Amino acid sequence: MKKRKATVFLAAVLGVAVAAAGCGSNTGTTTAAPTSAAAQETTAPAASSEPIRIGGIFNVTGDQSSIDAPAQKGFDLAVDLINKAGGINGRLIEATSYDGQTDQAVCANNAKKLIEQDKVIAIGGLSDSDYAYAAGAVAQAAGIPIVFSGATTPDIPDTVGNYAFLTAFGDNTCAYATANFLFKTQGAKTVYVLIDDSMSYTTNLASYFIEHWKELGGEVVLEDHFKSGDYDFSAQIQRYLATGETDAMFISSGPDDASSIIQQFREGGATAPMISGDGWDSDLWGVAGDLANQDIYVGTHYATSDESDVVQNFIKAYNEKYGIDPENAFAALGYDCMMVLKKAIEDCGGDVTSANIRDKIEAIQGLQCVTGTISYSAESHVPAKSVVITKAEDNHLVFVENAASN
Amino acid sequence: MKDMGLRKRAVALLDCSLVRFVLFVAVPFLFLVFCGLHPKSYVTGLVSTVGIYIVLASSLNLINGFSGMFSMGHAAFMAIGAYISAFLTLSESVKANECPALPDWLIHTQAPFAVALVAAGAAAALVAVLVSFTIIHTKGHYLSVVTLALIVVIRALIDNNDSITRGSRGLNGIQPLSTIPAVYLVVVVTLFVLYRTIRSAYGRGLISMRDDPVAAQTLGVNLTAKKISSFAISAFFAGLGGALWAHYLTAISGANFYFEKSFDIVEISIIGGMFSLSGAVLGAIFCTVLPEFFAPLENGLHIAGFRLPTFFGLSNIIMAALLVLLIIFHRQGIMGYSEIIVESWFSKETYTALFKKSEYGKVRSALAALFRGT
Repeated sequence: MKKRKATVFLAAVLGVAVAAAGCGSNTGTTTAAPTSAAAQETTAPAASSEPIRIGGIFNVTGDQSSIDAPAQKGFDLAVDLINKAGGINGRLIEATSYDGQTDQAVCANNAKKLIEQDKVIAIGGLSDSDYAYAAGAVAQAAGIPIVFSGATTPDIPDTVGNYAFLTAFGDNTCAYATANFLFKTQGAKTVYVLIDDSMSYTTNLASYFIEHWKELGGEVVLEDHFKSGDYDFSAQIQRYLATGETDAMFISSGPDDASSIIQQFREGGATAPMISGDGWDSDLWGVAGDLANQDIYVGTHYATSDESDVVQNFIKAYNEKYGIDPENAFAALGYDCMMVLKKAIEDCGGDVTSANIRDKIEAIQGLQCVTGTISYSAESHVPAKSVVITKAEDNHLVFVENAASN
Repeated sequence: MKDMGLRKRAVALLDCSLVRFVLFVAVPFLFLVFCGLHPKSYVTGLVSTVGIYIVLASSLNLINGFSGMFSMGHAAFMAIGAYISAFLTLSESVKANECPALPDWLIHTQAPFAVALVAAGAAAALVAVLVSFTIIHTKGHYLSVVTLALIVVIRALIDNNDSITRGSRGLNGIQPLSTIPAVYLVVVVTLFVLYRTIRSAYGRGLISMRDDPVAAQTLGVNLTAKKISSFAISAFFAGLGGALWAHYLTAISGANFYFEKSFDIVEISIIGGMFSLSGAVLGAIFCTVLPEFFAPLENGLHIAGFRLPTFFGLSNIIMAALLVLLIIFHRQGIMGYSEIIVESWFSKETYTALFKKSEYGKVRSALAALFRGT
């Protein structure tokens, strides 16, 4: 009897599945591709009145959502603004975005779906190397340019291939610039380095920093480690104070641990200036309270206090669309990611194909973006940008200087 | 009453070997051939993912469903399999640069995918045997917690051995070898071995251990040996699953073999039915394909001129709601204890039915009965 019941249940489930399949294909008929061979041909020139299809993959649910959700908003905002201004060369943009769910397989499958079903000619999005590699491999194999909005691992384009580009500076640039700032502007000679071992971003950033710091002639007095989510830093503080205070502290961590680190180190008696990379560019200041105003620097992509038109217009438009200021730098990077694609498509003129867009992205020189000036070359698909050093004042990051990375 | 009649007639149709052949063998096989011919397509990507999850969920069912232990540690065995197979297939120069602390012989070895797969499974099984000495004394929730701890340990080992695993930066540039034929060959082998295991005297011992360990022991079932060996078999196939995963995505890192991955596999196993291998098959299909149908809803679907608001995360909510409903109303999962799909694959009758005239007659009369009633 049990077996019977299960069989009937199975039949019912199959029925539902078939019905769902029916619905699915109905909603997808306008975009469904008959074969993958057809997907290959999407690069053929389309009639000039047709919209230009761009894909987006952002991990708006899961661990990555705190940085990818703002990036998605920035990306959507850019699409809106471009379409309101009449599109690119008279053609509107039709952007389709899928949630990568902070899962590599979902990201890879979404890239396939965008390319085959939605027939996109370029893809933007993703802020972490794990997901960038998974989706990038798919795009590269299909010959579709993919511009990563927030990923900062500098070897991503080399690993993925010639169709991959970054919008952000590489971690090496960020680390070198913060080291330069500490050494040259602040005159620091000794440094304490605290590293979160659980993320590729933080381990990369720290190793680039240490490498450059030693090149400059500085001394790393103590290198200590923790894992994101440890919350208790008393052991690290003990070790730091036992070694003696240094001229500065380089903290390589993500946004989640920033407030605990700041609060505990300051209360524990560590007074040296603290500096971190773009991982600290978030609304962590509210949690850390007044302590956040004590000598804390962040090397990041842009400062909202930047008076230039590009930045202020972006913040204004973001406010109009979403009713809030950009949550963090990734919103601006998502916006810039779309702007890079826009510039390349503009340059394509009448010949809007994936291969041509790739060539035109590579040829971009001096594109004014919210997060700095973007230039690519055949040798480097990581834009050489300057890093903005900001200081925490009154619970905001305030512009200090543009630090060079060399 | 009429409903009961319809049910019975539908079941009679599924009892025909010929119908099973068409439904469970011919149609899926043709579909796989189609996917194999379009290796870059999106559907193929989904189908590959489904295949990998079948391997993972069916091997989990051996422990969770058939032997009565509840393991959550599958992500750890996946990780071991993924890294071992990656080490074996990556090119010598990459390994020398990226993983300098690997033993010399491993740096100079570049094995074919089949060898890498077997090695991946064996490594995972070896670890399972070592760990199982700590788990044989635990039961129920405690066992689950110990297996969760295993995930943490493996993650820590991966993240902290920078010169071997590249730490949290992960390995990338792994060859994309998990093609449809490779994945589904592993699926068929996995299900065949697990099916034969479950149907053997050994498997009946496992089930008796699950149902009543004391009674099983008095009847001569060696519980310790059973626990360790079933754990190892399960881990072997989880290792294979991890290797396929690595060679499908071409990039791996410790962060992707953490709690979430284990929970995903447990979810598939529960939705499909953890007391059935066919349940793993159906669960994998369900949990991979269903969210894809909800994706248009998340993106603000156009319905009759209206655009729904975008609502990312909706598919997760729907899947969670389905899981809750299933637990309440059909606790044993979609398939329950039925083994209809896997049984059809591996029994001779399914294939010999093609050449038996009587089978065609049976289908005809079953069909006739089905439509007479409606």
